[in-house]
Amino acid sequence: MTDKKTVLLPNKFRDPYTFEDVINLADTIVRDADCLDLSRISFIEPYSMLSFLLLGKMYLLKRGIKLKLIRIPLAIHQYLSRMDFFKTEIFETADSLNEKMMLKRSSVSKTIIEIVEIPNKERESVKVITGVIELFRKRASFILKHWFSDNLVDYFVTVISELCQNIFEHSLESGYLSMQTYSLNNEKIFRLVISDSGIGIVKSFELNKEIQFDSPAKLIEMALTTPISSKREYGYGLCQVNSIIERLNGMIYIRSDNASLSTLYNKTRSGSYIFYKNSLSPFSGTQISISLTA
Amino acid sequence: MVAEISKLTKEIKHRGPDLITRPVGRRMYAKIRDKMKNISAHEVLLLDFEGIRVIDSSFIDELIVRLIIDSWKSDPIFYVKLKNISIIAEINIDSVFKSFSQYNKNEIAVITDGIRQNNSFYIGALSKVEREVIEYLRINRNTSVHDIGVFIGMNDEEVSFLSDTLFRRRLLRIYNDHISSV
Repeated sequence: MTDKKTVLLPNKFRDPYTFEDVINLADTIVRDADCLDLSRISFIEPYSMLSFLLLGKMYLLKRGIKLKLIRIPLAIHQYLSRMDFFKTEIFETADSLNEKMMLKRSSVSKTIIEIVEIPNKERESVKVITGVIELFRKRASFILKHWFSDNLVDYFVTVISELCQNIFEHSLESGYLSMQTYSLNNEKIFRLVISDSGIGIVKSFELNKEIQFDSPAKLIEMALTTPISSKREYGYGLCQVNSIIERLNGMIYIRSDNASLSTLYNKTRSGSYIFYKNSLSPFSGTQISISLTA
Repeated sequence: MVAEISKLTKEIKHRGPDLITRPVGRRMYAKIRDKMKNISAHEVLLLDFEGIRVIDSSFIDELIVRLIIDSWKSDPIFYVKLKNISIIAEINIDSVFKSFSQYNKNEIAVITDGIRQNNSFYIGALSKVEREVIEYLRINRNTSVHDIGVFIGMNDEEVSFLSDTLFRRRLLRIYNDHISSV
């Protein structure tokens, strides 16, 4: 803490693994903080951005007021504005960004899909998902320009559709989607993130007594690799996503409540490529990151 | 009977080349069932997906799987056949059929108009001998139990059992004691 009620956030917004350090502070933030100091942050990627948004939403729900963000570095402020982070109206900011300083929404910045809220009601959700997919089809040649595979765009239309439907089918809460291709350490990274703060995977299977599992991370793996469903006799969604990402040698990271599963299909030659984590700090809902690297 | 899915997509007020989600699948199912009111016995319902890129598992479950199940028990008997299926649609259909078969202990497959990635004219799981029958019928559209038996090396009784199984799954037609392709 820099003072009694301001939490200084660490520069850990680079990927889902480092963002765990911010999640470890979630309880303290929701319970005690009035402001978050972002001055140390030099980089934010979509998974960290959406998880941070969910943290703000939790704060708003529990405290009934918006969490204030202070000392936002210019580049971070520009990026968050460009991604429509502040349009969600979950946070309050001390300073607004001057219109002239905003990043331009031109054709060269079409390597992103800005934050979209996925409602938890079926009818509204279908409209939003259809809109997201239309937008993705328009920008796909920019977003996926470093990757070459037959039917790549169609594969990702399936992935987006399946993951977004899980929100209104299972989570009982609205969620968010975002997407971006960016460079980090000489590597091109495509990242699609779909996150919600709903009931999470373990709770959604609580009523299904036929599903037995050793640990929450193992249940996440079952949901990813076998056609089980918490709502129907069987399900296809996550399983289908898994087989597509395997085909594309991509990576899937799923975090739900206090467990996570990383499946790195780009590392299958090096032996272990599935990693389980249990006993993480609790964080409501399910957060999914799908990545390709080049 | 031909159902041009692209045209029907406009009629159900859905836009774009992708057919996704359960509600869209349900609307399409209702539309097609409505058009099937006057379908004749042993008629083929051809679902033509020209212009459609992606159909996701929810849509497949609500439309294709339901129509196939209807065809198994429906009066009149009808057959479902798919045309102009994109590669991703085929992958998704195959995956849904696998899950369906695993959980219902009931194999499901569908005949296609064009050749698919399995180098044959169906999507789903068929045994080697079932596949041979489907391929034989593809060339010899109208045939007898005996002729099929000569081709696959089985006696008439075995072929009758096999063709009855394929007929129950509506993968071939048996009409007035003739066996023919869908």
